[in-house]
Amino acid sequence: MSDVAALEQPIAPLPEEGIGSGAVAGRSPWELAARRLLRNRVAMAALGLFVLIVLVSLAAPLYAEHIAHTDPFVPNLNGTTEVDGKQVPIMQQGGGALKLGVTPIGPTWHSNFFLGADNQGRDVMARVLYGGRSSLLIGIGSALICGLVAVIVGLLAGFFGGLTDTVLSRTLDVIWAFPVYLLAISIATVLITQGLSVGPFSISASSLWLPTLIIAVVYVPYVARPVRGSVLSVREKEFIDAAIAQGASNTRLMLSEILPNVISVVIVLLPLMIATTILTESALSFLTIGVQPPQASWGTVISDGQQLLYTRPWVAIAPGIMIVLTVLSLNVLGDGIRDALDPRAKRRIGRKAKA
Amino acid sequence: MSSRRSILIGVLALTVMAAGCGGGSSSTSGSSGGSSSASSTGGGGKGGTFTILANSNWGTADPAKNYTLQEWQLLILTHDGLVGFKRAGGTEGTKIVADLATEVPQPTDGGKTWTFTLRPGIKYSDGTDLKASDFQRVFLRQFTVPGPANGFYEPIVGAAECLKSPKTCDLSKGIVTDDQAGTVTFHLTAPDPEFLDKLGLPFAFAVPGNTPLKDTGNNPPPGTGPYMWDHYDPNQGAKLVRNPYFKEWSADAQPNGNPDVIEYKFGLTVEAEVTEVENGTADWVFDPPPADRLNEISTKYADQAHVNPLTADYYMALNVNVPPFNNLQARQAANFAADRAAYVKIYGGPSLAQPSCQVLPPNFPGYEPYCPYTTNPGDGQWHGPDIAKAKQLVEQSGTKGAKVAVVGTTDEVGKALTEQVVADLNAIGYKATAKLLAGGVQYAYIQNSDNKVQVGYSQWYQDYPAASDFLNILLGCGSFHPHSDASPNISGFCDQTIQDKMDQALKLGLTDPAGANKLWAEVDHDVTDQAAWITMFNPKLIDFLSKRVTGYQFSPQWYFLIAQASVQ
Amino acid sequence: MLAFIVRRLIGTVAVVFAITLLVFLIFFHTPGVDPARQLAGRNPNPDTIKLIRHQYGLDRPLPVQYVILMKKLFISRDLTSYSNQGLKVVPAIAAAAPVTLSLVFGAAVIWVIVAIAMGLAAAVLRGTVWDPILMVLALIGISMPVFWLGEMANLIIQSRYHDSFLFSWIPPLGYTPLTSDPWMWFKQLLVPWLVLSVLYIGLYARVLRNSLLETESEDYVRTARAKGISERRVLLRHMLRTSMITFVSLFGLDLGVLIGGGALLAEVVFGLPGVGLLTYKSLTSLDLPVIMATVVYGAIFIVIASALVDVAYAYLDPRVRLA
Repeated sequence: MSDVAALEQPIAPLPEEGIGSGAVAGRSPWELAARRLLRNRVAMAALGLFVLIVLVSLAAPLYAEHIAHTDPFVPNLNGTTEVDGKQVPIMQQGGGALKLGVTPIGPTWHSNFFLGADNQGRDVMARVLYGGRSSLLIGIGSALICGLVAVIVGLLAGFFGGLTDTVLSRTLDVIWAFPVYLLAISIATVLITQGLSVGPFSISASSLWLPTLIIAVVYVPYVARPVRGSVLSVREKEFIDAAIAQGASNTRLMLSEILPNVISVVIVLLPLMIATTILTESALSFLTIGVQPPQASWGTVISDGQQLLYTRPWVAIAPGIMIVLTVLSLNVLGDGIRDALDPRAKRRIGRKAKA
Repeated sequence: MSSRRSILIGVLALTVMAAGCGGGSSSTSGSSGGSSSASSTGGGGKGGTFTILANSNWGTADPAKNYTLQEWQLLILTHDGLVGFKRAGGTEGTKIVADLATEVPQPTDGGKTWTFTLRPGIKYSDGTDLKASDFQRVFLRQFTVPGPANGFYEPIVGAAECLKSPKTCDLSKGIVTDDQAGTVTFHLTAPDPEFLDKLGLPFAFAVPGNTPLKDTGNNPPPGTGPYMWDHYDPNQGAKLVRNPYFKEWSADAQPNGNPDVIEYKFGLTVEAEVTEVENGTADWVFDPPPADRLNEISTKYADQAHVNPLTADYYMALNVNVPPFNNLQARQAANFAADRAAYVKIYGGPSLAQPSCQVLPPNFPGYEPYCPYTTNPGDGQWHGPDIAKAKQLVEQSGTKGAKVAVVGTTDEVGKALTEQVVADLNAIGYKATAKLLAGGVQYAYIQNSDNKVQVGYSQWYQDYPAASDFLNILLGCGSFHPHSDASPNISGFCDQTIQDKMDQALKLGLTDPAGANKLWAEVDHDVTDQAAWITMFNPKLIDFLSKRVTGYQFSPQWYFLIAQASVQ
Repeated sequence: MLAFIVRRLIGTVAVVFAITLLVFLIFFHTPGVDPARQLAGRNPNPDTIKLIRHQYGLDRPLPVQYVILMKKLFISRDLTSYSNQGLKVVPAIAAAAPVTLSLVFGAAVIWVIVAIAMGLAAAVLRGTVWDPILMVLALIGISMPVFWLGEMANLIIQSRYHDSFLFSWIPPLGYTPLTSDPWMWFKQLLVPWLVLSVLYIGLYARVLRNSLLETESEDYVRTARAKGISERRVLLRHMLRTSMITFVSLFGLDLGVLIGGGALLAEVVFGLPGVGLLTYKSLTSLDLPVIMATVVYGAIFIVIASALVDVAYAYLDPRVRLA
């Protein structure tokens, strides 16, 4: 028999049935991404840190009541507290010949006034913990809203170009150049003096939606521009031509082809923005939009601390540390998410690719 | 990104507390304690440059229009009036002495005519001669520029019409001048016991007869004082140099100055200003030192700091026309609950503020200590809040549980004071909240009765040492202008009996000042009993000087007498 | 290119017009804001307020006031401030502009150079211990409020350690024009430059790092490597350019705003009399003419910056068409 004939013989008996699809089920890209993320220990640690920060902020009432035994929303200028067994006034008069000024007590590193007191004799640690709730809500909320709107605007502007781009881009310019502080004073004054109703909703000055939306809108240009730039670059790539040749609609092009390639811009910017949004919130709270006195947010504690820089620097530093930790954890998490979504990014620059 | 944040956060942390401090402020502190600076005279030698730092400028420099102590301290060096406040420290500084006039005249015609004779030979800094008719221009400008307190000069014949219609203003009957004889005669519609004080304010200082009728902006017109304006740039600073045509004619009214040049620089934060004075690169800070430098100053630089009480009030105006404080017992309750010790701490402690329950400040004409709203009343001093009494009054008034909005300002001190008042009201059964507005907006807002502000935070500094400057202006019926942003009687208080007493005291002031002051003391007493305000405290002022400055003097009217100090 | 320029010019006019309109409307619809009352002083007679209202044309209908304001700002350029009737706004901004430009350009040079270095380093060193260290440094930088950092710098340099060898050569706060004393100009701006740039370095380094990692997986990079080009050349000549798109977008936005007065807190804390300080003062005193002028000034720069960024895209990524 010739070799050709041997080749024509079947090698092994074919199975009688095909293997069911269940046995070789593929995993969806999202599932794959999720598994990669969960396996990323550093990212998980960051998530843990973030969750810890949230929990600690939520536990603020417990801290204030059971550990520090203070009410951090009521001024406490005439009070005393125990330090090393002695009763010490919270607000201490200046020394020297003239005895000018009053300085709040500094950090005791104990359960009462752990970080000291602020200008109104309130426990700084308790206020920082309470402050986390407002700051996290406003900071993260505004960053997410900003990101969502910015992606939409950036996609539309970059993809369609022409008149759409012109109108959207110039609107972004107006937003970016706009004196938001003037708007903020105006809104604050209107709310405090007259109150404002939009349709059936009555907006109160203490609603946290106000600062969230204002901050979100203010930074839309900052995220939308890079997205638009990225879109301008991506839309010229060959695979877009390929998709168009396949008859893809504009929507499909934007959502399925372009968006995944520009999303990492947003993912890297958003956690960074949160530092800024939290700090911007302090300005709005200063104008009494959002967090009303005597409520606390990290921003308001920082602004309280700025009056005490020369004597009690911890008042401004403590919320700053909280902000750094929050932003750090979210950044690392963001990195992890990006890595999980794009497996190719695992390769290191300058080194050999790992399989 | 951070730039955007910067713009928003821009308002934080920097506002100097004096929202209402821009107005004319001076004090009649005198004799008694609190002032840790002796009224030492003399000082070192002449010469050198005195450098002053301030965070902001004073707006327009026109003496007819400027109403800030900041510029007034310089205008008294560059310009003169017919009379002036004696350039001295302590109670001496409240006395009126003759300046451009040869002597302080007695009024005639039942107090309605004042005749002044000018000293001869006085020249402006541009070499022109001082003429009697220049004063026509001075007062005409009060109505055309217009001056911010031209109501002071309403008693002059023709002035009331000028207020209404400046274009047709004719003061020729009210002010009669004779250049040959060098006389200036004022005819008033009614006697005014405070007329001399008003002539001692920069609004009435001499400027050349051809000075434009409009605001001269950043170029003050030439003056007759020992210094003249070299330049004023609102974004950078200002400079005064010696007036070559000045010859000292009265050491009491207008003494020659010690430094050759006075240099003013704007734009630094108050923290940075204090640091510069500590380092010796500047001589004086106009702004009050920030709270977190006070301890440093009182321990390391105590001999460079001088503390003086001011004739000023920090208070919360209670709206007597709107619930719950249209009820007298509610107002009294609020006063009993007020924790004045806490307010004092907010301002910097007992060395910087003195608690008060009444309207007139200490050492003011007509002041007699009186404080009913305390534990152990009777000695006129405040000892502590009486919460029990306050709660009882709240019950009796039937206003318990009422919602109260306390309208304060967003600066650090205003915010803390407002929050403390809110806490005090909550402690006795009200439901109080703080509403904070930016300074300029807040001041106009709380004055307008349409806004129905229940409690409004404010301060008041004297214009000149007269009880009416507090009682009549802030609590007189005529000062309550409903539906207007300009209604200094923020409480809307108007009690006819008390008003009659005020009018009587005003009339009496001309012939019997002592008797008038007794009446003012009674008015103060009555008004305090009516509790239209929660008076918080009387502030003190810290002047922080560099090491090389000698000869510090504090005048109750002009505060630190800059040119009398020496830097060499 | 010409079409591009023309379109952008029209865009600038549209943006400026829109902003002036918005600012104007917001200002006059804020309750309690009455310029006549502010101008009249502390204790004015109601008649005085009426007179001032008439003097300043504040009793005319809003559209008329708007047109007059625009005319004074753009055409006759004699617009005066409400807080200080002697202050002409346009010359004030012209005098303040060099200060802001000095501050912003110096800081920009520093932050761009350092951010590019940090971003490159972080991308190359990814996976080693340096990456997280650089990241933490970057994040600390952007989490610090500029006012706080500036005041801390002043506290250390001007106050506490002023006499020490390290800092005694640093002069008191302020600004000296470059033309009058270049060495002093530099010394006074050094600390402000450093403080201002710290806030941006972190953000830009992170963004660049991310862009570099993205570009890594591009085909042309693989091609370049396959051709045997050294890693350093691949990084600097092939990857860096296209990775700069996000970096440049943000830079355009930030630079535009900063030149237009956005560095106001840095100017406030260091006593630099620039446009930012003017803006700050005008906002705290609600001085409409100055607010309007600074906003217009800023808007013009923002639109110019945005146009330049679009031009830059075309340079950085040759595939991109001039938008």
